[in-house]
Amino acid sequence: MKRSSVFGVVLLFLTLVLCSGFHAWAADPIKIAIVGPMQFTQGEGHWNGATMAAEEINKAGGISVKGTKRTIELIKVDSNEFLSIPDATNAMELAISKHKADFVMGGFRTEAVLVMQDIAMDNKKIFLGCGAAHPELCERVTKDYDRYKYWFRITPINSKHLVAVDFILLDMVAKAITKELDIPKLKVAIVAEKAAWADPMVKIAEGKLPQMGMEVVGVWRPSPTATDTTAELSAIQRAGAHIIFTTFSSSVGIPLAKQAGELKIPAAVAGINVESQKDGFWKATGGKGDYGLTVNTYARVKITDKTIPFFDKYLERYKEAPNYNAGTYDGLYLLKTAVEKAETLEADKLVPVLEKTEVTETAGKLVFTKDHDVTWGPGFVTAIGTQWQDGKNLCVWPNGWQGVKYEGTVEYKVPPVMVEHYKKKK
Amino acid sequence: MGIIWFHIRKAFTLFRSEVLVLPSRVAVLVFVVALLVLPVFTQDPYLLRVLIFTSVFAIFAASWDLLSGFTGQMNFGHALFFGVAAYTSGLINVHFKVPYFLSIPVGAFAGVLTGLIVGIPCLRLRGTYLALTTLAFPIILMGLVFSFPDVTGGELGVMGLETLARSRIHVYYASVISMLVLTSIMWKITDSNTGILFHAIREDELAVRAGGINTTRYKLLAFCLSGFFAGIAGGLYAHIMRTVGPSTLEVSLSFQVIIWSIFGGIASIYGPVAGVFILFPLAEVLRAFPKYRMLIFAILVLLTLIFMPQGLIPWIRDKIEKECPRCKVRSIATRKTCRICAASLD
Repeated sequence: MKRSSVFGVVLLFLTLVLCSGFHAWAADPIKIAIVGPMQFTQGEGHWNGATMAAEEINKAGGISVKGTKRTIELIKVDSNEFLSIPDATNAMELAISKHKADFVMGGFRTEAVLVMQDIAMDNKKIFLGCGAAHPELCERVTKDYDRYKYWFRITPINSKHLVAVDFILLDMVAKAITKELDIPKLKVAIVAEKAAWADPMVKIAEGKLPQMGMEVVGVWRPSPTATDTTAELSAIQRAGAHIIFTTFSSSVGIPLAKQAGELKIPAAVAGINVESQKDGFWKATGGKGDYGLTVNTYARVKITDKTIPFFDKYLERYKEAPNYNAGTYDGLYLLKTAVEKAETLEADKLVPVLEKTEVTETAGKLVFTKDHDVTWGPGFVTAIGTQWQDGKNLCVWPNGWQGVKYEGTVEYKVPPVMVEHYKKKK
Repeated sequence: MGIIWFHIRKAFTLFRSEVLVLPSRVAVLVFVVALLVLPVFTQDPYLLRVLIFTSVFAIFAASWDLLSGFTGQMNFGHALFFGVAAYTSGLINVHFKVPYFLSIPVGAFAGVLTGLIVGIPCLRLRGTYLALTTLAFPIILMGLVFSFPDVTGGELGVMGLETLARSRIHVYYASVISMLVLTSIMWKITDSNTGILFHAIREDELAVRAGGINTTRYKLLAFCLSGFFAGIAGGLYAHIMRTVGPSTLEVSLSFQVIIWSIFGGIASIYGPVAGVFILFPLAEVLRAFPKYRMLIFAILVLLTLIFMPQGLIPWIRDKIEKECPRCKVRSIATRKTCRICAASLD
């Protein structure tokens, strides 16, 4: 064999060896398990938000750890937590022990998240909660810091603050009606789905509404899955309610809004209605749910500089507006900032850094409280109020609340059917 | 010394002539040994967790079989016993600091009482009426759980229970050994005179009553025994999870136990145990196909029930073993004559 041929073969061999070993040179990816009910819209939100963030971060080179760029590898883990709690715990164990996740993110049903939280804490894994609102999850951090310090809540704001936003929105609606229709004392119908989480809400509303100068004309508790609410609505109409104060997380939010529109009930529908946060609400109610108001997290409004680009990109890619579980997007960016600051993935070293990290992401400025909850209030995450106006779910709150008004926010509109009814009466 | 040697030889002879001669018994032996020695080969926390839950649910499924499979009292709300015991164990553990080795038996006793409370109004009911009535009880209790959130913890449930053991291995052995012991006891019960009466009640209650036997007493006994074993499963579950919530009373749990039992083969005790040990880990394996997980699971169960109406385990058993038409003793299918009376098996 000629000397040049030998040289060529050796060169080829070396090239092949180098190429095959190329992966060994690259730093291992950072594994992040997204644990959620993936067969439901909540889990889809978790996954979609995280996917968008991971792709963006990876495109920009990844997360820098001690000068080495490491990409993100997402692991999709279906917790099936709506149907089975053991399934959810198995999913969390699978994410940590089999998939060797460096971090876990997600969770929705509080009863399941509590157990999943324990598994993550047993393994000293940082768990970024993106779905469950119950305060207990964060109160555990205060009660037993050493054990539960690895838990942080990204989204939503905790249920106590959700209630606060709910009443601020009610007050805004009441003021708008009083201003436009000059009604001396407003009557409110409390309509809450028959579910445990709504019970305290009803109690609080019954006590608080008279203090706010309003009269409670009755409490109605339809089934969360009711498909006909005409009986309740007829009674509400007879009671002369000006506001229908809703507390809905389930499908009943659709028939109530639709039938209130069909019956042309002269009252403003406002409160919590998770169904009306979704894009499909307009189609589902045939447009009859117009002028309904709900507490929300995302709308096409400039909460921060990042909100509208995120909202548009999400809408374009998934053909629907992001729900609050898509806050995994913010979670991933927060993690990137903290890891780059701490220069480590070690949970014990990362926790104090996360506690002090302040980042401005799509839902607002993320800063953790002492119990690792997301801070609520002006300058931080506020949540928003959205009202359907002619087929668009628009942000109507905060609109000057404690100096906060997001660019793109519009004025709340009193439903025209109500205006017409009460002006004709006069 | 001689006596000990005699008993060892006797045990060995029994083992050789009664266990090794039948494939089903060999399979049970292999299964038990495999479960007991598994941690020597792997201590994978995920695998152990799956097997821990499988063991707990196996006790639960066998307890349903003891009641519904043997006496024919179709219980559609079996989660009631499980949930009552889990809540009882959890509440007394959290509020009165009763250790788990006492709170679990107390929970099981609450299961017995629940069995009595449910059993008495259900004694005169049969078929669909009985099924629907039993289905209502856990739903009623769920309503009570939500009505008194200060006591029950409402939607969140009871948290902060004492753990069953510090390490995963200990929890594994606690649940596996409990399962082996309790299902053996249940199997022994069904093999006793009481079990024969349970069986007879299911086949023809009127005939049993005509024979001078108080069927009411036996039906109540079945409810209480079933409540006791389901209660132990509930107590174990509570202390493994360290929390008890409304999900322990959900209708889906009651239906799941029926699916496991019917899939494995009812009126056998070992059938439901096998059903859980096949279906629960199978659901984990099917995580590889998340979108089709429930669909594949449902199709597999459906096909099994269409082609093996008696359940999977009795079907397999009938394929590998034959029953002697004369003395009713079972022999391996390859034998031409009965191993006891030498009657022809063809």
